[in-house]
Amino acid sequence: MSEDKYDTEVRLVLQECKDANPEEVAKEFERYENEFLIPPRDALRSVVRKFMEPGSDADKTVRAPAPSVKKASKFSELGSNDRNVTIEVLVVSYNSRAQQVRGEERQIGFGFIEDSPWDGDRQRWEFKDWGNKSQDLAAGSVVRLDGVSVNEWNDKKSININQTSRVSVLKEGGAPTLAPTNEPVTIEDASRGEGTVAIVARVLAVRPDQIVRRDGSGSIDVMRGRLGDQTGTMGFLSWKTLDISEGDLVKIENAQVKRFRDTPEINIGDFTKIEPYHDGAFPEAETLQANSSCTIKDLRDGMRDVEIILQVVDWNSRSFTSKTGEERVVRSGEVQDPSGRCRLTSWGEVDIEAGSFIRIKRARVQAWQGSPDLVIDQLDQVEILTEAPFGPIDASNHWVEEDLDDLTSGGSRRGISTTGRIVSLRSDSGIILRCTQEGCRRVLRDGVCGVHGEDVGEEDLRMMMVVDSGVSNASLLVSRAPTEALIGMNLDDVRKEISSNGKEAFHSSLKDRFLGHRVRVMGRSINDDRGCMIQADEVQIMEVDPEGIAKAAIDRWGVVL
Amino acid sequence: MGGGSLTMSGTMRVGRQTAIRVFAHEYRDASLPDQGSGEYDPGYMVTRLGAKINRALICGLIDSSEKRESDSGQSYRFNLRDVTGIHRVEVSPFNPELHPEAEEIHARFERGDRFLMMVVAKQRSFQTEDGGVFTSYNAQEMTVIDKPRYAEWLAETAEATLRRINAHELAMAAEQSMAGFRSAGVPEDLIDGMLLSRAHYPPFETEVYMLDVLQALNAALGRSVEIVKPESADESEPDSTVPDQPVEAPSPATSDMSVEEVVVATIAAGDRGEGVDYDAIVRQCSVHGHSREEAEDAIDSLRADGGQISEHRFGWFRLIQSDSS
Repeated sequence: MSEDKYDTEVRLVLQECKDANPEEVAKEFERYENEFLIPPRDALRSVVRKFMEPGSDADKTVRAPAPSVKKASKFSELGSNDRNVTIEVLVVSYNSRAQQVRGEERQIGFGFIEDSPWDGDRQRWEFKDWGNKSQDLAAGSVVRLDGVSVNEWNDKKSININQTSRVSVLKEGGAPTLAPTNEPVTIEDASRGEGTVAIVARVLAVRPDQIVRRDGSGSIDVMRGRLGDQTGTMGFLSWKTLDISEGDLVKIENAQVKRFRDTPEINIGDFTKIEPYHDGAFPEAETLQANSSCTIKDLRDGMRDVEIILQVVDWNSRSFTSKTGEERVVRSGEVQDPSGRCRLTSWGEVDIEAGSFIRIKRARVQAWQGSPDLVIDQLDQVEILTEAPFGPIDASNHWVEEDLDDLTSGGSRRGISTTGRIVSLRSDSGIILRCTQEGCRRVLRDGVCGVHGEDVGEEDLRMMMVVDSGVSNASLLVSRAPTEALIGMNLDDVRKEISSNGKEAFHSSLKDRFLGHRVRVMGRSINDDRGCMIQADEVQIMEVDPEGIAKAAIDRWGVVL
Repeated sequence: MGGGSLTMSGTMRVGRQTAIRVFAHEYRDASLPDQGSGEYDPGYMVTRLGAKINRALICGLIDSSEKRESDSGQSYRFNLRDVTGIHRVEVSPFNPELHPEAEEIHARFERGDRFLMMVVAKQRSFQTEDGGVFTSYNAQEMTVIDKPRYAEWLAETAEATLRRINAHELAMAAEQSMAGFRSAGVPEDLIDGMLLSRAHYPPFETEVYMLDVLQALNAALGRSVEIVKPESADESEPDSTVPDQPVEAPSPATSDMSVEEVVVATIAAGDRGEGVDYDAIVRQCSVHGHSREEAEDAIDSLRADGGQISEHRFGWFRLIQSDSS
């Protein structure tokens, strides 16, 4: 019987239980394997527990704490000589710059962190990251710092995160901080997060612009434009004058990627270096332009310089009096492409017929009621196309099929169709009362409107549900018409049903009919920081199809039954 | 400082938790509760395959039903059996809206009716002093379903399990960090759970969960739901000796005792005041050549009918006569 068989496991146990006898440990593993049919790997924890000194915590993992760790929950507990500190903090910001350290250029991270990340009362300190931990220090994330030290200078204390420090992410923040590097990254990679980047890209557009200060103290001259490579395009904003023109290939170092609303943008500042770059194989501007033209589903709030091909569904104009007393005309309408629908608003005198195809350039995207909409300012941004760029779309029944998981992680969308399972039916589904005041349709609570106070109320019918795919979920709001179609009853029928059987019975009848069922939902999705909400124009119960789902799974994962 | 709280509410708001599709076996194997330290942080149970479960969608045949009265009020406990094991579901005293439905289900069960149920539930777990973790669920929504919809759940849950098995394999080959897992193609929703799982659980073979998948898919396709013998299920699996799998292992010792006798004997021998935990009993039964299902049935029947054993704490059993403390 070879004791060596359990060598690895025995060593692991001995790490934990220093005084244990290796032979006894091996015997224990043998017993587990032969008598309890538990292979050594699975038995590890049980064996450790058995040989553990009484009183020591068996559930602590294999790491013995390094000597003289100072655990703190507040910055105020830290003195200027504290080393090897463990503390949980919220990362407020992370920036980085290149710095000469002992003759070597290194990327140093710096920013603000706050203590007591889990409750409101927090103190803010500066930190420096000497250990290239930007990946784990994204702004907005909560992290545990191990082995950091306190630095005091000019009576101000700050935290040094050293190369030997450990950063454990407890809660992920917003966009990840990009690993700072002088190696150029692709635009696709650069648009994933925020932080310092170097890129090689072709200038697709550049023009002078002005930013007007909010406080009315004047304006700043800037330059805006668009950069592109094989992987995509990104807008840029330069705070200094640039000597570049359309078509140039440039290498940009030490630029900052920042997010404006939902859109990443390259910021070019005083420290940014731009130089011409030579690469005969780099795609020409026209090629990149052609690739960069986007579709409705790609639109995100805050985008600029959008080039897109659309079909106009309808087009109207209306005039209004602006705040300054000026009479202004705004034109707008619904537009579509094969990926979905949205609205287009024009401040220029653009007259287009319904059904025609257009290409628009340099459009902006603004969110209106949660949906990203296109805005143009001038006539010359629109080009009417003589040939149809895509086949006819039936506007009355144009639903773009989307996976629920993609919908909940992307931008807000109109004209989508998706599927999922109903996992909850809220108890306020059914008849509700809405406020009757002009322009208000708020739901009354016990006869009271949140804004207008007591109100007689007008009856309405709606359903509030949750649709869930197993990976993501969305609230599902079904207004009166689609509810009536779905349940096969109109408001009167529901009222009668409730008055004869009661509200509870009606609600549980809805549950019986819909809870746990797969549904197809058509409508618009609105994403914000509370999650995703789908406003349904139509809801269909899907046929029960276990075989279909099973076969799809078998195909996708190559299962052999 | 003032700015901080804005940052918090802006980035740390948590939306509704998705209902994870998970088989009883994978959930029962889980022993890693993950409770954030914030006041309103959702609690999770992290499975070996990296599912981070706060809410789950589970289905199964009702296998036992109990109604309890305690100081905090009335509660119900249902066991739902799927093809891989048993889901333990509680309707707590703090969820009175569900009580009428629970009462109805309980009454149906008492009448001898057996039926399939679908439950949307929150994870709950209980940890013993020596570190054992027992998992169960708190029901949020329940409904009785028909066989086709159960089959649909089996297929959907098989798919979800396959996705996790695949992600686990990708993660095993990748650098153990968020960035490493991401670039290896581990789906975004599984990265966090996979990191926690890797740090906590000892290495394990995913085959045991693959067997769950195969059984579920067979059942969903209306094929025989006979339990696959390990030899035919996967030849490349020499170490299929993990007792937690639903496969009936070839009996190492032929049954010299009935399964009930083993249960009682195990508790009698192992009870040092706290009782004996569920898994230990099941393990001991398997040593004596009884399958997991048999052991579970025996424990349930000894507890319910004969009154020979009691579950004084969730997952812990004592003999009734020896219970004097």
